[in-house]
Amino acid sequence: MSEVIRSISRIRLIAGNTFLEAVRQKFFNSLLLISVALVGSSTFFQQFDFGTGELKFVTDFGFGALFFFGSILSIAATTQLFFSEIENRTALTILAKPIYKLEFLAGKFLGAHMLMLVFTTVIMLVLGGILYWRESVLMARMGEAFVDGRLIRYSDLLVFGLLQWMKFGILSAIALFIASFSNTNLYTVVVSFFMLIICQLQYIARDAYSTMEQGIGQWLVRVLGLIFPNFQLFNVGDQLVFSQGAPLPAITVLQIVGYGLVYTVAFILLAQLNFKKREI
Amino acid sequence: MSPSAISIKGLTKDFSVGMRGVKLRAVDDLDLEVGDNEIFGLLGPNGCGKSTTIKVILGLLDASAGECKIYGKPSHAVAARHSVGFLPEAPYFYRYLSGRELVRFYARICGVSRARIAAQVDEVIELVGMTEAAYRRVGTYSKGMLQRIGLAQALVHDPQLVILDEPTAGVDPLGSAAIAEIIRELKRRGKTVLLSSHLLAQIEGLCDRVAILHRGKLVREGRVDDLVQEKDAQSLVVQGLSAAGRVAVEQAIIEQGGTLCRVEQPRLSLDSLFLQEVERRETARSTSTESKGGAQ
Repeated sequence: MSEVIRSISRIRLIAGNTFLEAVRQKFFNSLLLISVALVGSSTFFQQFDFGTGELKFVTDFGFGALFFFGSILSIAATTQLFFSEIENRTALTILAKPIYKLEFLAGKFLGAHMLMLVFTTVIMLVLGGILYWRESVLMARMGEAFVDGRLIRYSDLLVFGLLQWMKFGILSAIALFIASFSNTNLYTVVVSFFMLIICQLQYIARDAYSTMEQGIGQWLVRVLGLIFPNFQLFNVGDQLVFSQGAPLPAITVLQIVGYGLVYTVAFILLAQLNFKKREI
Repeated sequence: MSPSAISIKGLTKDFSVGMRGVKLRAVDDLDLEVGDNEIFGLLGPNGCGKSTTIKVILGLLDASAGECKIYGKPSHAVAARHSVGFLPEAPYFYRYLSGRELVRFYARICGVSRARIAAQVDEVIELVGMTEAAYRRVGTYSKGMLQRIGLAQALVHDPQLVILDEPTAGVDPLGSAAIAEIIRELKRRGKTVLLSSHLLAQIEGLCDRVAILHRGKLVREGRVDDLVQEKDAQSLVVQGLSAAGRVAVEQAIIEQGGTLCRVEQPRLSLDSLFLQEVERRETARSTSTESKGGAQ
């Protein structure tokens, strides 16, 4: 038991140090500022709106910015934080200590994931603030449209943020897995983005195998659908946030969180298998 | 009988090179025993397998064949590394931490208890002579300071075996002498030190035993004196001998059945000359500073 506690303590130390290194990077701060500025100014972009309501537009804009910049950040930060240890050979000093390679990888992952927590929280708070402000203005201007109260479920905005953070966790774990066998930063980033696109669009494969005839083709598509996580499952923003629809049941939210955790742990374990054989 | 600090038997390490996985043998059937409380030098040209051997000892690489043990425990087991401290060649550390924070970080990674951590960190920082610079950021350190703080992180969990990979590479002679003195102090404290270097003059005066590797194979191994002594020759260092006296000595050697192989002028090594001169001036400078202070 005490060894488990010591192991957690070592992971926490590496994660804390990784997080400290991450928040000191100009890349993170620049991306965070750009994202906050974009979400904050979303209400001024309505001239590009093709007929949807203002609150829907701001919400979609915010969710889009979170996904776009969050994906870039989770891939780039995880890759950079991993390769900085390898290229500067600080990994050599750490791994020569009584520490397991899995603890090192878990620490790197958690450090990057803590960075994504800060990013997601800031973006969701800014988005929540903008939505609250615009909704209050709209309520004062046309109160009859709000007879049932506010349209936005603000507490569920944070639930959506949690689900996006879980998605970024899978993405970070995928980047870590690719970094574990890749020799260059660039290769890791490019392949991770391909993986992101596959995960984002893999629902098409799922739709395809439901209409396919039984056979090797369907079996193959089904296996591929299992290997790559389905990121569409996390896109429940509209259902969560807008009060016109029925709220997403808590059990569904938990299932999505569990789904994310399974893939995250699986990719970290795969990364460890490669990392064990890697020459540092 | 207590186990050796390091016991290597038949160690072979192959690397796969290129797409076709051609095998490159970095270490070839190496046998090595490093006893407790000795300073052992691993010598050899670049690419001879020193660093690969060290990485196997540290469990960073798996051996292709053979075994490696640290105080009786397999080197790939994490538990074996509790008794090992390591300073890599040209170490690089987190630049944003201060020296003290860095050593503290590694102490916590090694599981040094909270009760002991502050004392332990202070002690090793003092041992390596970094007390004054301990609160400065690592990013501002010189090469010599990086080596010293690297030594501090290697020693902070009080390991019995300390492995130093080229500890004086790129460090000026004064810094090198300071590091050599720390290594001697470690031996006095009962530690075992394994160091790899290609600066042979420093190793010669420091190590109890050395091993020479070439293309992954062990070429020679033994006590430094045994290896470098010409066993069938003696040297006489004579002062104030006249020309006639020298002729008489040469004659006596021939009469006693010996052969005079060569006559040399004893030399100081450049390292020793440099250190002597710098130390003499430093002593003179500190004496004059003290006397000025006293006069005021």
